[in-house]
Amino acid sequence: MKLIDLARIEQEERSAADIINAVCNELGFDYASYATFNPVKGDVQGYANYPDEWKIHYGSQGFHHFDPTLYQSMLSIAPVDWSRFSQDEKFHTVFKDAHDFGITPRGLTVPVRGPYGECGLLNVTRNCSDEEWERLKRHVMGDLQLAAVQAHDTVMQSGLLAKALYLPTLSTREKEILQWVAEGKSQQDIGDILSISHRTVEVHVRSGREKLGALTTPQAIGRAIGLGIIAPG
Amino acid sequence: MIIVIDGINQHKFKDVLDEMYQLRARVFGDRLGWDVNIRDGREVDKFDTLNPAHVVSLNDEGDVVGCMRLLQTTGPHMLADVFNSILDGEPPLRSAQVWEATRFCVDTKKLGRGRGENSVSYVTSEVMIGSFEYAKMAGVLDSIAVIDPVMNRVLQRSGNAPYDYLGSAKPMGKVVAMAALMDCSDERISGIRKYAGIAHDVFLSDEQARTLFDTTKAAPKAANYDRKPLNQLEKYFVEQMGAATSKDEVDAVLRLIEELSDKFTPEQKFALLSTPRAFAHEA
Repeated sequence: MKLIDLARIEQEERSAADIINAVCNELGFDYASYATFNPVKGDVQGYANYPDEWKIHYGSQGFHHFDPTLYQSMLSIAPVDWSRFSQDEKFHTVFKDAHDFGITPRGLTVPVRGPYGECGLLNVTRNCSDEEWERLKRHVMGDLQLAAVQAHDTVMQSGLLAKALYLPTLSTREKEILQWVAEGKSQQDIGDILSISHRTVEVHVRSGREKLGALTTPQAIGRAIGLGIIAPG
Repeated sequence: MIIVIDGINQHKFKDVLDEMYQLRARVFGDRLGWDVNIRDGREVDKFDTLNPAHVVSLNDEGDVVGCMRLLQTTGPHMLADVFNSILDGEPPLRSAQVWEATRFCVDTKKLGRGRGENSVSYVTSEVMIGSFEYAKMAGVLDSIAVIDPVMNRVLQRSGNAPYDYLGSAKPMGKVVAMAALMDCSDERISGIRKYAGIAHDVFLSDEQARTLFDTTKAAPKAANYDRKPLNQLEKYFVEQMGAATSKDEVDAVLRLIEELSDKFTPEQKFALLSTPRAFAHEA
């Protein structure tokens, strides 16, 4: 089983790396990484913006064979605060070394499950006080969920076959609502037109946006038009 | 009280999950008549093997009285698969911020009517508070729940009405099943808390849940906890203890039990000794 740094082999597919850098810059984390498991070979592949020395040490020590932030977190549906591993010897093995590279054991992992049951993991760390950490978590957890699913989909969609398998399937409601957004209607207007609550409109917009791998609603509209899912407004 | 059991801590709670699967068999198999797979009195399906999060309600006796199963809508989940008829052939929602809730049930045999702690209404609210707070901490904004009309009415009556439904209700065994949308917002959570009169933190730590489940299961509840009728000697001791009016008399009964201990199994003796003590305590 190998540890593959995707940034080193796929020069044109850098957007997952962009996502983890954005997680650090915009949400206030020191380091971030995204990892997934190749179901065929069992390799761990992903991106990390940790210092190179730590990445090399991590791989050479074989930490990716047992690091609980990967193997335990994939068993949860919710983000896992690493404080949950305080009794785990394997965690201490990895993070005793991490300390020497200036990396804090204060972090969390957001697990993403994909449509084929595959799992992706977004790890973030920040060296700060307990209070600051709790405040940060409350503030950014939703954004982390979005970043994690984006990083995962970006990696999974690299490669032509995967792109075909991942072609977004929007429901009639999602298409209809995106069509009304393209026509310039507000969520409240759309709710009135379709006789549904604005919260229902919101939940469909969000789902449609994520299926299209878009960060913003205008971007989702652009992609939906590009894919012929809706008509230009 | 609520314990969340997921893939990380499930090895500590095999017995709690086993009791939960039995509750699910009684509700979804026997009462609702859904086409579920029941083996040895337990209802378990393939989604239970995907490391879902189970939100489990334990009462003060340590019994499982309610539960709900949560899965991410980004991955395999029931509406994408076995319940897709509810969506009228449409693809399901897929969002990191929407979780799916299924197998939501409470023990209507152990729980009564009204609003007290041992009521259907209270435990329903407790499970909902637990799952919404757990989801909210995870950055999740909405949940899509597969429920039956009875549960739907319970939710509507308890300050927790779904804000919408997807697709249309479909026959499922003796009842129909529907997909209800609920937001995991502070407003909804405080609404349920207010209705149910639950102000405290509903979550148990792993250790607290373990203790609650163990102590109440291990402790014999009565002299005849071996489930056989009281024999003459047991009856005599219970009567003597009931009639005892002073500490000396209580001690005399306990001494007599010790004297005759070769007449009992160790379990019976333990049960007998603790039952008169309980009597004595009440006196």
